[in-house]
Amino acid sequence: MEIIFGLITISLIVAVFFLLAFVWAVRSRQYDDTYTPAVRMLFDDNEGPAEQQTP
Amino acid sequence: MHPTTAPAPSHLACAHCGDDCPEQPIRLAVRPELSFCCQGCKAVYELLDANNLCRYYAFDEHPGQKVQAVELPGRFDYLDTETVQAQLLSFRSDTLARLTLHLPQMHCASCIYLLEHLYQLNPGVRESRVNFLRKEINISYQPAHTSLKEVVQLLASLGYEPQITLAELGAQPRHSSRMLYYQLGLAAFCFGNVMLLAFPDYLAVTGQLGAQFGRFFGYLSLVLALPVLLFSARGFYRSAWAGLRQRTINLDFPISLGLTALFLVSGFDILLQRGPGYLDSFTGLVFFMLIGKWVQQRTYDALRFDRDFTSYFPVAVTLLTAEGEQSVSVKDLKVGHRIRVRNQEVVPADAMLMRGTGQIDYSFVSGESVPVGKVAGEVVYAGGRQLGEAVELEVVREVSQGYLTQLWNNPAFQKAEKQTLESYANKVGRYFVAVTLLLAAGTVLYWLPRDQAMMWRAFTSVLVIACPCALSLATPFALGSALTVFGRHKFYLKNSAVAEVLGRATTIVFDKTGTLTDVKRSAVEYQDPTLTRREQQAVAAVVAQSTHPLSQRLAAELPAGALPVTGFREVPGQGLSGVVDGLLVKVGAAAFVAAAGQPELRAAGSATTTDHLQSRVYVSLDGGARQGCYIFRNVYRPELPAVLSELSRRYRLAVLSGDNDTEQDRLRELFGPQAELRFRQSPQDKLDYIAGLKRRGETVVMVGDGLNDAGALQQADAGIALTDTLTNFSPACDAILDAGSFGQFGTFLRFTQDCLQVVLATFVLSFVYNGVGLGLALQGKFSPIVSAILMPISSLSVILFATLLVRLAACKHKL
Repeated sequence: MEIIFGLITISLIVAVFFLLAFVWAVRSRQYDDTYTPAVRMLFDDNEGPAEQQTP
Repeated sequence: MHPTTAPAPSHLACAHCGDDCPEQPIRLAVRPELSFCCQGCKAVYELLDANNLCRYYAFDEHPGQKVQAVELPGRFDYLDTETVQAQLLSFRSDTLARLTLHLPQMHCASCIYLLEHLYQLNPGVRESRVNFLRKEINISYQPAHTSLKEVVQLLASLGYEPQITLAELGAQPRHSSRMLYYQLGLAAFCFGNVMLLAFPDYLAVTGQLGAQFGRFFGYLSLVLALPVLLFSARGFYRSAWAGLRQRTINLDFPISLGLTALFLVSGFDILLQRGPGYLDSFTGLVFFMLIGKWVQQRTYDALRFDRDFTSYFPVAVTLLTAEGEQSVSVKDLKVGHRIRVRNQEVVPADAMLMRGTGQIDYSFVSGESVPVGKVAGEVVYAGGRQLGEAVELEVVREVSQGYLTQLWNNPAFQKAEKQTLESYANKVGRYFVAVTLLLAAGTVLYWLPRDQAMMWRAFTSVLVIACPCALSLATPFALGSALTVFGRHKFYLKNSAVAEVLGRATTIVFDKTGTLTDVKRSAVEYQDPTLTRREQQAVAAVVAQSTHPLSQRLAAELPAGALPVTGFREVPGQGLSGVVDGLLVKVGAAAFVAAAGQPELRAAGSATTTDHLQSRVYVSLDGGARQGCYIFRNVYRPELPAVLSELSRRYRLAVLSGDNDTEQDRLRELFGPQAELRFRQSPQDKLDYIAGLKRRGETVVMVGDGLNDAGALQQADAGIALTDTLTNFSPACDAILDAGSFGQFGTFLRFTQDCLQVVLATFVLSFVYNGVGLGLALQGKFSPIVSAILMPISSLSVILFATLLVRLAACKHKL
């Protein structure tokens, strides 16, 4: 059953990796604005000149 | 897709801003099905159309902002000055400059679309990113191709004029909120892992697997719980300590006490190998309470309320020196400086008018909509907005010494220091501590002669279970959802403590001008010979040329006809004249309009053109052949009688007016016999009156609008600023109410009362959990597994209970 010590340690290391990923996400301002990106992804950046003119 | 035009021809919505169009709307030559309410809206549409940005209109119906009337050039000149740029730009090099601007007008998905495509309108802009919740835009531009001034001008021309004020120039503390995310993330991580490690204990399997796992798991949990205690829970300890230093006990004190007891007991248990400890409960408690804090912060993160008068004052002013005009920071103004204030600019310091005719709009200061005329030699107080021609002023008092600033420096404004925010939770927290300590002492006395080990266990259990975690969650979740409900109805509260105060209010005090009366909607009457439709159109054509509020109001009243005007002339403070189809039209003060040889009109006019509730505009056509006058009467808000009749049944009401008592009878009729009506009140009088009410033990809510109510708004337990346009400046206060929602004011107050009931009910619920736990603790039967079950159930049920009940109350009031 000694393997449990190893497994727990590994699982903790994996979990720490996710914690660091979260810290990175906060540091890179992903939590500063949780609304605008959801809207921004709806915009087409390569829109053609004519088609959206039709009412 | 373009918005389709409305079927009814009389109520044509402007394709840009959605406002009603005039009878003959402005059409676009290429797309005649689109109608516009004004040239400004049409210009924006054409600009967007030319740059292939018409998808702006696809995301939201009528997203546009009404663009202000023609601006004088040079309004943004100060942005070219080095000092202002140094303060505004967050990054600067030869090839790139970056800054963040606050755009209060931002309101929909279309705004985001347009603002993030600025580079199509100005190739010098490299990138623009919007933070919608904060209503901010982060712009990077190439200084070689464009300038800060051009960028700001572009924004203003689209209807998104950035709010650049003295306050904005200060350092922008933005990173405090991120700390909570780190704390929350760490707590979640540790909570999850500690719970996994504690799981074998729940199932009582440690016995079979041997003591070695138990010890290993115990030490690991302790290592994981340590960062939670030192980092995540830091806020609770800090707040409890701050409370102790002010000699008060807030809710965070028993929380800190409980958390400390939990951690110490667990630590001893684990190190002395007496048991698994309560570390799963400990980390879980911190995690849940941090969620409560996070919810609280999210609810009002978007609203920036901490505006003071510096948010209203301009950043820079045009200084007249021997070398010519120069843009300087308002802070550098000295007594004796000569400044120039243009149309629509705010007078930054008390100053004497030297040249030009002042038309000072004090609506932000007094709520009075009609501009006050000033002539050379008179003193103009800071805070007024000049309309019409540019004027020259000499500063008589520095900004920090001015009338408004003095008002602002009144002790009432040091509200942060005083404890009006004595919330229920803190009050309950104090009793909670007393009861807990009493019970803990009782267990010690009871068990001491009987069983020493049991005494120790029962004593710590009491401290552990007494941690008022559920209690601390009740207020943020109940009042947090209440704030969201209010936000949907354009009633914005600074924080949940304001909701509590509103629910407890006993007296409501109203300001009159601008609060009870509707500045936008004055009734227009015409006296003397009626004009033909054609003549009315001629008058409308002339007044449409002017930016004076009364002219614009009159233009909106009269049938519009796009008749050409020749020889238009505006004499500031006097009136307008112009020729329409050979007909000479003069509009304005009596003395201006009257032709020679009509002394009776001249005399009548010069006596009173403006008294407090009505203003007159005289008209003469064809050189005095036909003349008459329009009377503008301020009207009370139409919802007022209904709101007042509802409020007067439950609250003491009072009116504080800066005007004379001509309106006393009408107000008496509206407010009922009990209400207190006070006239000729100076800002200081208003403040003193409210302070007096508070001394008598009343909980006072003040509803006002102008800067001269600012003192009273601050002095009151809850100050509500009523505003017609939310994007406009409003004085510092605890809540902002959109004038359109004024009719629901009574409902709002009743809803807050219900929300307080919900909070109290939630308190009872959490006491039940604490009671059950205490019962077990006193008998020494409280174990880690009981704690591990009781703790999450109590937290989650309190969250659910509070949120659902508030939603239910909102439904009940149809909010």
